Amino acid sequence: MNSRRPLRLRLPTHDPLALVGLGIYAVFIVVAVLAPVIAPYDPTEILFTPNYDLAADRRPGEDGFLMGTTTMGRDLFSQLVWGSRSALLIGLTAAFMVALIGSIVGVVAGYFGGWVDTILMRLADVAFGIPFLPFVIVLAAFLEPSIWNVVFAMALVLWRDTGRVIRSQTLTLRTRVYVEAARVSGSSDLKIILRHVVPNILPLSFLYGSIAIGWAILTEASISFLGFGDPKSISWGFMLQDAFASQALSKGAYYWFLPPGVLIILIVSAGFFITRGYEQILFPKLDR
Amino acid sequence: MQSLLRATAWVALTAAAGIMPAMADPIRTINLFTRPQAAQPSEYQFVELIAQEWRKLGLDVNVQVMPWEQMSEIVWFKRDQWDTTAWQMVGRPERSDPDEIVFNLFHTSTAEKGFNFIGYNNPAYDALVEKQRAELDPEARKALVREAQAILAADQPNMMLVHPKSTYVYNAAVWKPESVVDQGGIGIRNTWTYMSLDPAGDKRDIVLNSSDTVRAINPLYISGGTDSWITELLWDRLMRVGPDGLPQLWAASAFEWIDTTTIKVTLREGMKWHDGQPVTAEDVKFSFEAAGSGEAPMYGPFVRNITGIETSGNDITFKLANPSAAFLTASLAKINLIPKHIWEPVIEDQKTKDTNAESYQEATPIGSGPFKFTSWTANEEVVLSANADHFNKPKADRWILRIVPNVEAALGMLKSGEINFLADFPGDPSVLNAAAAADPNLKVVSTVDIGFRYVAFNHRRAPFNDAAFRNALSAAVDRRLIVGAAFKGFAVPSNSVVSPALAFWHNEETGKMETGVDKAKAMLAAAGYTLEGGKLHYPAGVTETLK
Amino acid sequence: MKAFSAIGARVIQTLFVLWAVVTILFFLFRLMPGSPLAAYIDPNFTPEQQDALMARFGLDKPLWQQYFIYLGNLLQGDLGESFFYRTSVADRIFALLPNTLILTFSSLILAYGIGVLAGAYLAWKRGGAVEQIAIPLVLTTRAMPEFWLGMILLAVFSFSLGWFPAGGTRPPGADYPTLWSLYTSADFWRHMTLPVLTLAIYAQGLPLLLMRSNMLDVMKEDFVTMARIKGLSSYSVVIRHAARNALLPVMTSFAIAVGYQIQGNVVVETVFSWPGLGRELVRAVSASDYPLAQGAFLMIAVVVIAMNLVADLLYAVLDPRVTRE
Repeated sequence: MNSRRPLRLRLPTHDPLALVGLGIYAVFIVVAVLAPVIAPYDPTEILFTPNYDLAADRRPGEDGFLMGTTTMGRDLFSQLVWGSRSALLIGLTAAFMVALIGSIVGVVAGYFGGWVDTILMRLADVAFGIPFLPFVIVLAAFLEPSIWNVVFAMALVLWRDTGRVIRSQTLTLRTRVYVEAARVSGSSDLKIILRHVVPNILPLSFLYGSIAIGWAILTEASISFLGFGDPKSISWGFMLQDAFASQALSKGAYYWFLPPGVLIILIVSAGFFITRGYEQILFPKLDR
Repeated sequence: MQSLLRATAWVALTAAAGIMPAMADPIRTINLFTRPQAAQPSEYQFVELIAQEWRKLGLDVNVQVMPWEQMSEIVWFKRDQWDTTAWQMVGRPERSDPDEIVFNLFHTSTAEKGFNFIGYNNPAYDALVEKQRAELDPEARKALVREAQAILAADQPNMMLVHPKSTYVYNAAVWKPESVVDQGGIGIRNTWTYMSLDPAGDKRDIVLNSSDTVRAINPLYISGGTDSWITELLWDRLMRVGPDGLPQLWAASAFEWIDTTTIKVTLREGMKWHDGQPVTAEDVKFSFEAAGSGEAPMYGPFVRNITGIETSGNDITFKLANPSAAFLTASLAKINLIPKHIWEPVIEDQKTKDTNAESYQEATPIGSGPFKFTSWTANEEVVLSANADHFNKPKADRWILRIVPNVEAALGMLKSGEINFLADFPGDPSVLNAAAAADPNLKVVSTVDIGFRYVAFNHRRAPFNDAAFRNALSAAVDRRLIVGAAFKGFAVPSNSVVSPALAFWHNEETGKMETGVDKAKAMLAAAGYTLEGGKLHYPAGVTETLK
Repeated sequence: MKAFSAIGARVIQTLFVLWAVVTILFFLFRLMPGSPLAAYIDPNFTPEQQDALMARFGLDKPLWQQYFIYLGNLLQGDLGESFFYRTSVADRIFALLPNTLILTFSSLILAYGIGVLAGAYLAWKRGGAVEQIAIPLVLTTRAMPEFWLGMILLAVFSFSLGWFPAGGTRPPGADYPTLWSLYTSADFWRHMTLPVLTLAIYAQGLPLLLMRSNMLDVMKEDFVTMARIKGLSSYSVVIRHAARNALLPVMTSFAIAVGYQIQGNVVVETVFSWPGLGRELVRAVSASDYPLAQGAFLMIAVVVIAMNLVADLLYAVLDPRVTRE
């Protein structure tokens, strides 16, 4: 990992792309927070017309449904709005877990070295040997269907990338003069870690966390598509699965299967844009 | 009646003890199982609809989605651990005889381990279905079967929903429409169609799809719905259920009831196995013995009634333990005829092992049926070719089954001509009508099915042991809504396990059922259930025994 | 000598990882709730028959014994018997693995071809208008759900235009005596076009961005500056010097990418009815067919782990800094 420049958390105002990304995020966060206000219906409610017919497969604008309805008579616009909440919830918790676990592992391994380091890094090797998507599928099939399965699986496996990078960053920090000085002056390990190491690795944790947001949202979508998703929480992945299972393609219901995909692309690439703004290296480089 | 008794008992109890009547408990959250939307869209949809209607009665309903394997594990093997579940009986040709359904689903003897997984217990009903089973006179038996249906309608052991319409599509540019056979209660996807499909042009291969993969091609293993399409073509049976739903002669050229427990069957002359050897009466005897040998556990039940088999020339005589009206359909039209020279060593070998004949996969399966085995490519396709030596040889050249898990892709293949017979479509059937409107060569054929969809109630758990409660829940949902919303009109409402497709056996009276949330509420109130704070409570004195 | 012992250590480490994954898998599948055979025990079975079935699959023994039996069988290449098919798991997996591998490698070769060229081009055109559009576009392809892209490609190029078949590896009933004759047939490639395209569109982003950033790094280095001073044309500088040096680390990333891609195949194989390992895994997991699911998972893990090893070894061999020293 290249770390000549000190990393600092600040708004990447120099990069227009990152600003676009931040803008997209801001919009999604506002929509997610205000979802109950913006969405005209409960996203899972089966809707009927006044004469007790199911309001199924309505096209956008028909019968007052802004974006149309599903084959089960659920309002697509409301589902899209509520989907932003699921996406952010999954994305942010997964990011937090991955960054947290990865950072702790990396800092502990890098700072203490020795057998602690050996054990943790062998664990990381093992985590690298576990195919991620199959692992999520197995967990999701065995546990109750829930959007948290994805988060859980990510916490179990995907800390590996963050862990390794943070470790090598910590290794270089450990040899810095001020850390040495602190150690000589008798500061406790915890104090040194909190005062000198953590602030320096925080931007990296943040970077890897923000990559994890995209991973989490895409993984949840794939799991839903394969039929292991949670039908009770409306996510964009669930909407796509619903659309394909109801032959939206054959019905030419573009208003159904395009918007969720576009929103996934928007929010995931917004994460990438921001990440790029913070660090030109977008994907974990192979050198470690 | 039951509730009246309960009320009297309660009055007696409180009077004797001299205490204030205990507050009735609220009814716990009711679990309702369904399979995932991706696998079973209509089921998932009707479950969501039913849950929504039940909630209007003041019930807390928790829809639990799980794959079929998990669902069947709980429903079949943990019989006291579920409340209600969506369930399905599929229409098979052998179910054209009502015995399997009216007996196995509700008789007390099958409650512990068999098909009566709901735990229905009604001695009067038991006696009735035992009687119809032994009644060899069709008219007398018909009256009994109809009476059984009337009892079920009054008791509502299950909440019957619909008989779906089996809907398949064929390409009329490839197959002459008059050569397509619509089998009552089954639809056009059947063995008769495959044998009679007549090429309209120079395309001579039947290319059809299945969304499920093929597990095994084995005449002694009931391995799955799709697999059975193949076994029915590769192996002959003594009788076959005909397009009219009644058993007709097939590999047998004649049969005769000697007495109520003895039947003599004559084997058709000149039949050959696909490897060229002749089919003999010994092979037939062996086939039935193999099914009952314990090495083919799934076929065991179909020969359990047979106590002895004797052959003489081309005649095979079966001796039965009990008179059985359904023997022709349930046994003679069920057991695959298999070559003794191939399977005898296999069965003997399996007897020495932990495994059974279900684990044995022939490299080239050999039967005597109208199609011969050509090839099987895992998860891709199975190819059979016409058996020119068969007494009912197919007009098509080959029968090619393509495995297509993606439903949209199957439809795309039909439109592009990659397949010419849509034999499996778990999706929204209204899409098929649209496809047919766009391409006049695509012919959609819908047939009311023998099979049915329902919500099973677990009688082992209160409040589902109360017929009044079951009746109310059942009445809460307008079946027309289910037909329209979940099945897009490709189904008929049902209140009897015997499908209207089986016109001879079906009791039309069961169809007269009034529904509506208000009616259901009234029924619950009459049975003593109360609403407190919007939540439905048991009748006074009844306590919740489960959490 | 030093290099050899480093390689040896790396191989031992790989074996350790393999053992750890096998162990995790074993306990993951065994400790899940419910009897593993429940879905396959016929209701008509007597308790004795059920016990016999449990014994036959070795499920009656204590867990630790099962574990060692499993390890022993594994060493002999025996992955057990599928509950669902009642036949050997190994046979099933090795029948499907080639289809998955050819899909993975074809799509990655295409992705790397496009990615490397486009990456080099973008580095060359650094700061231009092309970059302004291309970079966000590439990032967008990485943000697309693969199944969604696959379905849309299917709708456009198969359902609407009819250019490509909608699924499978071959036309109905076509006879290919060997795998080789299948893989070399034009029909096979026509069937593979859409799935390969779907995977490649997703996969090209990694080599593209890597190539570009490596190129930019290399172009800053002295020898490139020297070449410029010597008056070599811009094109020649890019191709002869920068690209060649930037390419090597991208190539080592190919191995890692195989590992990532083979996981993603799970979804694409379902969309395109492709008879591969990923689809079988999904099928086995939802059917609670533990031996098969475990076997398919293990096979994918073996590919991932092997590719990690290859990447490490390649890295040691090909690293430009190492070779320049």
